[in-house]
Amino acid sequence: MLSAAIRNPEGPEIIVCCGSGGVGKTTVSAAIGLMGAMSGKKTIVLTIDPARRLADSLGLKDFNFDAQRVDLKRFSCSFDAPEPELYAMMLDAKRTFDGLLFRYSSDEIRKNILNNRYYQHLSNNMAGSHEYMAMENLYEIYSQGRYDLIVLDTPPSRRALDFLDSPQRLINLLGHRFFMNLFKPYIQVGKWGVRLLNIVASPVLRGVGKIVGGQTLADFAEFMKLWDDALFDGFGYRATAMKKLLSGHKTLFLAVSTPQRLPMKEALYLYERLTENHMPFGGFIINRVEWTDGKKGGKTERVDGNSGLEKIVLDAQLKEKMITAYRQIQKLAETDAASIASLIRQIGSRVSVLQIPMADGEVANVDDLKQITNYFS
Amino acid sequence: MFVLGKGGAGKTTATVALGMAARRMNKRTLLVEIGDSDALGGLCLNRTLSETPEKISLSLWGARVHPKSELEAYIRAHVGSGFIARKIIRSRLFSYLIDATPGLKEVMSLARIWRWEQAKNEQTGNRFDLIIVDAPATGHAMSLLRLPDQLIRMIRVGPIANQIRDLQRLLKNPQKTCLVLVTLPEELPVNEAMEFYSMAEDELEMPVALTLLNCVYPSFFTKNEINQIDFLKDGLEKNSVTPFSVILDAVLRLIRRRTIQQKYIDLIRAKTLGRMKEMPFYFTNDLTLDDIDALSHHLTHPAFISS
Repeated sequence: MLSAAIRNPEGPEIIVCCGSGGVGKTTVSAAIGLMGAMSGKKTIVLTIDPARRLADSLGLKDFNFDAQRVDLKRFSCSFDAPEPELYAMMLDAKRTFDGLLFRYSSDEIRKNILNNRYYQHLSNNMAGSHEYMAMENLYEIYSQGRYDLIVLDTPPSRRALDFLDSPQRLINLLGHRFFMNLFKPYIQVGKWGVRLLNIVASPVLRGVGKIVGGQTLADFAEFMKLWDDALFDGFGYRATAMKKLLSGHKTLFLAVSTPQRLPMKEALYLYERLTENHMPFGGFIINRVEWTDGKKGGKTERVDGNSGLEKIVLDAQLKEKMITAYRQIQKLAETDAASIASLIRQIGSRVSVLQIPMADGEVANVDDLKQITNYFS
Repeated sequence: MFVLGKGGAGKTTATVALGMAARRMNKRTLLVEIGDSDALGGLCLNRTLSETPEKISLSLWGARVHPKSELEAYIRAHVGSGFIARKIIRSRLFSYLIDATPGLKEVMSLARIWRWEQAKNEQTGNRFDLIIVDAPATGHAMSLLRLPDQLIRMIRVGPIANQIRDLQRLLKNPQKTCLVLVTLPEELPVNEAMEFYSMAEDELEMPVALTLLNCVYPSFFTKNEINQIDFLKDGLEKNSVTPFSVILDAVLRLIRRRTIQQKYIDLIRAKTLGRMKEMPFYFTNDLTLDDIDALSHHLTHPAFISS
């Protein structure tokens, strides 16, 4: 069970929450983080959610990109641990890339890279740059060894698959020797020692240049060269280490979904990819499940006829309206139960499926998050 | 028409509902899905849509844009020699370049849509009066729509640069292109929607023309009735579960959810500049095409699908 894994001192040190957008991943991540902190682990929750939902529910009004301690004393609920330590941090792509540059490169090279138009575009917009960044931050924070538990709220699902592949993709993209060998025949040393790309020499380069423009190609070659000089060794080493860390026993992946058709499909897809890649999978968390009478699998009251209701003194029209409204919520509870049953049929009963009921109010603070942790066992 | 919104807000549902509304107004409409997603295809045809427009039902067509195949087609068209074109497509240098310039792939998707739009003026079979794009989640959609502006800074000359300029003109012409934002009456989606309004207007220069507020709980009860129901609750015995207490409990929860939603409905109504329309919640986790057809009746108004 998830709660046991979170509480276990020998349990996972990294919990990664995956799933499509809008299913409440960040809220679930925050609740897991809270539970970790409550059981005495120094815990940090990392999120890339640009909506800053985590900040809102943790009461962090001035969210910045440094780790911030959540002030748990402000909240009325009681905690098992005497001094629970919960931190939260938002990740930012550009900042992470710049940080990498500062770590691995000399001043001169760094200046050139920062000025390169490709870099400016790439660090903010590269497909999967959020994933690289999430990985990079995760690894950085893990290596510092300052926390007992790290909870990572990932980018939405399809992107999260890039995230799984990202260490490998990083190595591939930055596989410098191979790449430079491709370019080498075409790079000349210009008059002032500037590397120039000789496009005329190759029909392929000429073709590519025709499509994207020769200047672009030259910028790109320049960027790759700089990138290469600056970062390759450090980066490649890290990427391999990350992959190893993620597939090891210190990590646990969770698939978060709602009972809706599409998020369920995504969660199932994720589960398949994770198991296929031999990543440690910790189960499904189905959020916002309608439970007719507020209890899991609670008996649905049949209101056909008027059994039990005839004694209630109430305007007949209003009584009818209430029954109509009740039937609607009952219908939703039934479709939700069917959706979860269908998931269990597909994955078998050995995989954990936890349900979190639809909240009647809003998840607004740590007390609400603590409520959610009740459903982790 | 680009349908945008946070993940889970109901973009695909809205895309299909808008398409059905347009169909009722006798518009030949193409629904477009971008990339690997097959939400739209799954909903309409129970399979992945093909890359050439295919009929979903009378006057309603669907297609998927796959950036990579667009780019390959583009190279074939622009590089004279087929031999060299094939060599380029297969070269690893090229795939590196494409990976590192991801915007290129996305701009190719926009270009595909642009060509479908242009085909309107030709005597071909694929003429559409309206193209509705089920765009990626807001963050990614922003980068998609921002791309022409960004790429033009990177690629200044050449055929791609010219094509990007054409695209910019099409996107920024309010007579031709409009943004539809789908959101939910909840705190964060509403906050994001309001942030998006100003980003769309200032950064993209493409203001949001229509906001669809999805999953709005019906107001089952009048104010007077809610008072009566509250009164019933007070008369209930504590800790005894009867059929009536179960019903009352569920009804109170519905009322509570609707009350919270109302707060955000009022908030966004006060802030939105374009039109706004509510789409009711259907109390199911799997909308059928019939449900969406019913939903689309909320959208049949010339102002939403204007000529």
